[in-house]
Amino acid sequence: MTKTYPKASRPSLDNVSVSIEKGEFVFFIGPSGSGKSTIIKMLLHEVSPNKGRVVVNGKDVTSMRSWKRPHFRRSIGCVFQDFRLLPNRTAYENVAFALEVIGKTKAVARRVVPEVLELVGLGGKEHRYPHELSGGEQQRVAVARAFVNRPLILLADEPTGNLDPDTSIEIMRLLDRINRTGTTVVMVTHDSNIVNQMRRRVVEIESGRIVRDQARGVYG
Amino acid sequence: MRVKYVLSEVLVGLWRNVTMTIAMIITLAVSLFMLGGSGLLYQKVGDMKDLYYENIQVSIFLKTDVNEQQRTDLDAKLKSDPLVKEVVYVNKDEAYKRFQEMYQDAPDLVSAVKPDQLPESFRLKLVNPEQYKSIYDQYKDTEGVDEIVDQSKLLDKVFGVLTGIQTFALAIAIVMAVAALLLVANTIQVAAYSKRREVAVMKLVGASNWFIQAPFVLEAVVAGLIGSILGLIALITLKTFAAGGSMATLEGLITPISWSEILLMFPLMAGVGGLVSAVTAWVTLRFYLRV
Repeated sequence: MTKTYPKASRPSLDNVSVSIEKGEFVFFIGPSGSGKSTIIKMLLHEVSPNKGRVVVNGKDVTSMRSWKRPHFRRSIGCVFQDFRLLPNRTAYENVAFALEVIGKTKAVARRVVPEVLELVGLGGKEHRYPHELSGGEQQRVAVARAFVNRPLILLADEPTGNLDPDTSIEIMRLLDRINRTGTTVVMVTHDSNIVNQMRRRVVEIESGRIVRDQARGVYG
Repeated sequence: MRVKYVLSEVLVGLWRNVTMTIAMIITLAVSLFMLGGSGLLYQKVGDMKDLYYENIQVSIFLKTDVNEQQRTDLDAKLKSDPLVKEVVYVNKDEAYKRFQEMYQDAPDLVSAVKPDQLPESFRLKLVNPEQYKSIYDQYKDTEGVDEIVDQSKLLDKVFGVLTGIQTFALAIAIVMAVAALLLVANTIQVAAYSKRREVAVMKLVGASNWFIQAPFVLEAVVAGLIGSILGLIALITLKTFAAGGSMATLEGLITPISWSEILLMFPLMAGVGGLVSAVTAWVTLRFYLRV
């Protein structure tokens, strides 16, 4: 597929074709402005390609009507560099909010939220506010929120960008554990350390083109 | 739970930006008051037209030297005219009696006039009072006819003034409505901005569009409804105070406005207020949130 943003001199993604199997763990690496984030945006149906198709979970996202987008998003969990937690809600409430706004009852939240907070290793810190948690803990809340709805795919856009190396490794272990439950994990990063340690599939993008697609790759 | 969530968000939203909310409600109230007033006036003018035209007469005054033949000819012609509903002949004596009644407060004038000096006339009721012109054209040159007078001409002036007031009220209602809409749009933008984090998370996790928009749209609807209630109160206040004062002198001319007529204006005001606010809020959100 090709994506050219209006007013851009060259395409953000130029004739890129990549296929990710269910249950895979894939890194997208490359310098800033190489087009990694555009891929995430396309998977979320935030932008559409000018040419080509985006197929997620067997459905053609390119032709999807915008009113179907909310429902589609429920099958994708998202984690970002800046956590995007609600500051006036506790860890529990942040995760429960994600459930409640898609129509789940409070009873469901009471059953599921403590479970997923336990899974990300935040048991006992449910009632802390984001500012009372460390960066790593905040990212765990974000991962819990992304995963609580049991999505098929977890998109992580530089999830370790704001964290120190040790904390980053812990978050990666968490993502790895989630991947082992069968969830496809797509992660955009330029953290070479992490890529080298994980030894997973690496797709390298440069100036909108795929320059490398390696099964058990390193950052290199 | 979801209904409770939406409703509590509405109240929080209105309260968070309370000065703007008050400004929005006041402009909506004034606009809807003007709209209601102009609606009432429209109804009144209609009622009054019905009432007056029912009793309105066209008078054909005959020349003093009219002869018997001319009179009976005209009488026959009028009676067979399809435009005319009713014909009453008023002879000199009867005209004098009416004259006496009309000017009983001025005995000097009455005593100065002799029955002979008053013209005989035919008083017509028309099937459709607005067809006066064709009656006039048809009979003005008939022999023995001196002058044709239509009472509705006088009333048209009164109606003209009332329609003018109504247009004025409607114009103010529209201008105020534009101001109100801009305030609604602004309030909704501020509300959406203060909740941008929540909205971003909701979009991210796939909350449906209506769920994201509902609190904002309802916020505008609630403001519109409160505005229409205030507008109704203003109309009621106006009736209460004006009925004792200046309106009382017009009592004979303008049919009084009843409470039920004022209350009937409320659905119009509330409907327009609520709907217009809702649409404005929704359109604002489309641009602002891109949901």
